[in-house]
Amino acid sequence: MFPSRRPPFHPADRGIGPNIGYQSKVRVIDRYKVIGFISSGTYGRVYKAVGRHGQTGEFAIKKFKPDKEGEQIQYTGISQSAVREMALCSELSHMNVIKLIEIILEDKCIFMVFEYAEHDLLQIIHHHTQPTRHPIPPSTVKSIMFQLLNGCQYLHANWVLHRDLKPANIMVTSSGEVKIGDLGLARLFNKPLHSLYSGDKVVVTIWYRAPELLLGSRHYTPAIDMWAVGCIFAELLSLRPIFKGEEAKMDSKKTVPFQRNQMQKIVEIIGLPTKEKWPHLVNMPEYPQLSTLSSSTHPKSGSNLEKWYYSTINSHSATSAPSSNVSLGAEGYRLLSGLLEYDPEKRLTAQQALQHPFFSTGDKVSSNCFEGLGGKMEYPHRRVSQDDNDIRTSSLPGTKRSGLPDDSRPVKRLKESGV
Amino acid sequence: MAANYWESTQRRNWQFTREQLEDLRKKLENEDQNLVQMYPLPCVRHLSIYFNQLVRLGKRLGVRQQAMATAQLYIRRFYSKVEIRRTNPYLVIATAVYLACKMEECPHHIRIVASEGRNTWPDFFSNDTSKLGECEFFLISEMSSQMIVHQPYRSLTSLQTIFSLTQEESALAWSIINDHYMTDLPLLFAPHTIAIMSILLALVLRPNATGVQSAGSSAGNIASAANAALSSATQTKNGAEKPVGPARTKVQKLANWLAESNIDIEDIVDCTQEIISFYEVQEQYNEKLTREQINRFVKARGLDK
Repeated sequence: MFPSRRPPFHPADRGIGPNIGYQSKVRVIDRYKVIGFISSGTYGRVYKAVGRHGQTGEFAIKKFKPDKEGEQIQYTGISQSAVREMALCSELSHMNVIKLIEIILEDKCIFMVFEYAEHDLLQIIHHHTQPTRHPIPPSTVKSIMFQLLNGCQYLHANWVLHRDLKPANIMVTSSGEVKIGDLGLARLFNKPLHSLYSGDKVVVTIWYRAPELLLGSRHYTPAIDMWAVGCIFAELLSLRPIFKGEEAKMDSKKTVPFQRNQMQKIVEIIGLPTKEKWPHLVNMPEYPQLSTLSSSTHPKSGSNLEKWYYSTINSHSATSAPSSNVSLGAEGYRLLSGLLEYDPEKRLTAQQALQHPFFSTGDKVSSNCFEGLGGKMEYPHRRVSQDDNDIRTSSLPGTKRSGLPDDSRPVKRLKESGV
Repeated sequence: MAANYWESTQRRNWQFTREQLEDLRKKLENEDQNLVQMYPLPCVRHLSIYFNQLVRLGKRLGVRQQAMATAQLYIRRFYSKVEIRRTNPYLVIATAVYLACKMEECPHHIRIVASEGRNTWPDFFSNDTSKLGECEFFLISEMSSQMIVHQPYRSLTSLQTIFSLTQEESALAWSIINDHYMTDLPLLFAPHTIAIMSILLALVLRPNATGVQSAGSSAGNIASAANAALSSATQTKNGAEKPVGPARTKVQKLANWLAESNIDIEDIVDCTQEIISFYEVQEQYNEKLTREQINRFVKARGLDK
């Protein structure tokens, strides 16, 4: 299509003539001034930038790394997850979903320009463990949960599964707006041509993985996102992942192992699932494995979640009485247990959760999760390093976001490049 | 958005009036008149039919119809922005199929698409996967990354029970939708409009187990039958005529339903006429001439290299 040599007899050729190959109409460095490097991951790198032509605000530019960094870069085909993320972000528009500004395809790289968010939930949770644990104020928890559910409701109403909800992927702007980010694993679930399972065999960071996925379910639903939202709610309260299991690695035969340790962590808090409460349980591929798990309590004693909840919301009260999460009360427990419900069909949907009395009792929910905190709560700004400001080349080895011990989370994405 | 056509990029950015579409195409030709004069091409309708070449590649790859439909729409969008004589249409077709398969969750590896592309069009296609990868950038960029497509198939599925379509009628409506991707219709009308047009035509053509009963009837007859149904719907809607008693035929039922809906009947009329003229054009379509004219500029300009 784009010959390297111009045939001699076409004086009319000019502009986007075929001899020069694909050329982007806009150049990322002409439009944006990179301020620094934010983070890197399996997909590539994220930079902080400002506009050069009076675009208001700050931006986060996600650069998808070409397959071979360093060497002569070749076009190898865009990964399916990048294609999904580009398509979904171009289509989505909601105040609680991170906003895409533009996508620039240039020099064999993809640059996705997003609105910038100063914080994320991982960072906020981490801040509350320093120097000693002090709870996130109840009004903040409530507002974050409402906004997070609102974003989920929008995604699900539009047939989008996020599939990777976790604190690091939930952004918060400096004005306290929650924005669901990183749609790299998201996909449409209306009439998939193949079962959702066949595409990417392992989905969602293990600590937030729903029990039906752990038990080998292949046909999953928006309920998997709602389980993750439940885990995030618990983490906002206790400042630790509620089910912090260890991931069993894939064996040499590339079969997906039963995540025994993760399932065990869940069972320890909410008890073993039963077929009485979850009729489809017996159809789960890994169902036989359940009997090999030990319930820390007697098998019939059920869930310890209520105990977990009250001891969590009460534990901080001795040191910081006024902002104690005790005020989240019984409705907080009911919401949590509705989200951490074993049976995906009974688990609260985003729509149901938004209408939960948790949000209509007590203080009014604010659309700014920092409202009322005044100057007493100042969250640290996102770290922006100056090591790698060259968005064009950047052949430096990836540096993980530093200073956040909890960020060393298992990242599970099967390599999809080329397809 | 993804589930909502009304807020979709398709409705906002990729639905045109005939005049807009014509202007876009004129603008592309005016940008380089020498090129246009040097390589005359058949009319847009014939070119559109020629793009159905992608079926050959699709069959080799075993791609499902919905992904093929998405690919066809990508090609149509792309050529509303890029002068065809600047491109290798075979590479564009293969790239659209490659990209559509990823979007429709039935991906094929780039190497497989490239080698099947070469098998399909050996004289116009190199084995070089980076050409396909480069063209993918071009395609996505021209579409502004707006790759989520709303198709009439879903509307057809939900409407077929309302109008109690038989299996044969549904199948015929489905194939009419397949055919409409060989026209400008997907750039002109909403997917539900297309779906209703396909149902109307399927009912007018009255298929039965032994095939299309009215297969012998001319396009003109079909058009007048369809138009009769639509004008009765318009009259009912305007209050000139009340439906008398229960609808006796499925066509009447459709007409009554249309009269009560908010759907623009003018659009359905327009849409029906367009597909009927497509079927007429298809009979005069000269594949050989179209192929020769396309191949001439591809070869002369070295676009296959």
